[in-house]
Amino acid sequence: MTTTTSPDAFSTDAWMRRFVQSAQAAKGGLTSLDQEVGDGDFGINLSTGAASTLRRLDADPASRDDPAAPLHAAATAFLDDVGGTSGPLFGLLFQALAVAVADAGAATTPALAAGAGEGLAAIRRVGDAAPGDKTLVDALGPAAEALLTAPADTLPGESLERAADAAWAGVRETARLRARMGRSSYLGSRAEGVPDPGAVGIGMLFTSARAVVEDISTLLD
Amino acid sequence: MASYFENGEGSLVPDALRGFARAHASLLTLDSGHGFLLARDTAPARRVGLLSGGGSGHEPLHAGYVGRGMLDVACPGLVFASPHNRQVYEGSLAAARSQGVLHIVKNYTGDRINFGIAAERLAHHGVPCARVLVDDDLATDSGDIAAGRRGTGGTVLIEKTLGAAADTGLGLQELQELGTRLAASCRTLAVASAAHTAPTTGRPAFPLDPEELEYGVGIHGERAPRTIPRGPLGPLVERMVLALLEALGPARGASVIALVNGLGAVTPLELYAVHAELGDLLDARGIELARSLVGEYITSLDMRGFSITLLTADTQVLRLFDAPVRTAALHW
Repeated sequence: MTTTTSPDAFSTDAWMRRFVQSAQAAKGGLTSLDQEVGDGDFGINLSTGAASTLRRLDADPASRDDPAAPLHAAATAFLDDVGGTSGPLFGLLFQALAVAVADAGAATTPALAAGAGEGLAAIRRVGDAAPGDKTLVDALGPAAEALLTAPADTLPGESLERAADAAWAGVRETARLRARMGRSSYLGSRAEGVPDPGAVGIGMLFTSARAVVEDISTLLD
Repeated sequence: MASYFENGEGSLVPDALRGFARAHASLLTLDSGHGFLLARDTAPARRVGLLSGGGSGHEPLHAGYVGRGMLDVACPGLVFASPHNRQVYEGSLAAARSQGVLHIVKNYTGDRINFGIAAERLAHHGVPCARVLVDDDLATDSGDIAAGRRGTGGTVLIEKTLGAAADTGLGLQELQELGTRLAASCRTLAVASAAHTAPTTGRPAFPLDPEELEYGVGIHGERAPRTIPRGPLGPLVERMVLALLEALGPARGASVIALVNGLGAVTPLELYAVHAELGDLLDARGIELARSLVGEYITSLDMRGFSITLLTADTQVLRLFDAPVRTAALHW
């Protein structure tokens, strides 16, 4: 527990490193989920992006002083080094977060809200997905909304925790939805009951602001 | 047991690209690190670079259309798989002119997403980018298909016409508008009497009885909405052409550009016979068959089938179509 009131105490470097650990820990669980509703490659793609992010973070330790740099490292890693489609969409979210944090000079709650909002907009432009289509938009939308409605002076760790709660509620909701887009749209009602793996990845990202996600199943109930 | 002549799994696309670049070294260069082909020589008046791409297995599309008067860059993916957004992004940086870059995208979910991600990255870096979506496949024209019509043979005619338009110095928005109009003015139908050989198994991608035809087949072995009995060529071409004309609704006296395209394993003899039937049908309806391309322009590996594309063309489009072009697969 931190008692400081300085937003600088929130480290985007530590956030990204916890997300890397979460992605690696959840690789098997995500693969199982994606085998039910998709190509089965999402767990591997997320861990590929995580490994590339870690390499980039370790290669440039001086960037720890720049709150946008770790987000930028994750953006490049997920955009350039990950196959499939969901992985690079995470890259667009990281890119938007990096821009917003760089503009603000710190990972403040308003900066994170702006970045998540722009990331959501970019992902929706690219994927043509609307809320309720059983995609990662169903987790990112509520998370961005939670950040946006948090008072501007909320500590980033606290607003990201609210975003995580909202994201996981959205993830659980995707289990009840039928897909309109993507590979699982071909499965019709067979994909009902299974949450969207990309949405789970978004939940993991926001939870990682505070803690490593060791086991996604505890967050799905 | 694969039946393709190749060195090993996954070797065919990179090997073919290397061979293609060497065969057409005067026209283009291969950036093998970033995975795109770049035209050596395009018109100095061009203010917008033209880029297209998509899965491999459709040769000569798109690599065969890189050069003077057509594409600045082509980004090939693996067989029947979208190029990675990184290829499109890096290719776009190489293609971009003073007014940016235009993406010509066939309407498939993977292509749309990967080109879309590249477009977001370009916007982030201040490079203007717009898209023309080609969705000419009449067989997938149904309200039930959320993804919309697929992109297929019309792509060739649109890339040619937009290339000539870009050479006149049109801006990004003007080219996008022209491309969108062209895409709305062309439709394609494809039939197959045998599937392509699936690269992974060496066997036909789908079964088809000798007395059946797949009517409305896709260029990746997507099954057609229906299978029809095989019969003489005339009634088959008539059925296809009437459906295309009904969708396009050209007025009597209107001009069309036709593409009679082999999908990989149909002989030129057959394709010209198709074209003869097509010409008779249009003559009888007072539609002018103004220009024709007959041959292999967009294939589906070794599928035994053909497609017919019609593009209704005004004098401006015909003039652009007639403008000189020098690429590996189109030159006049």
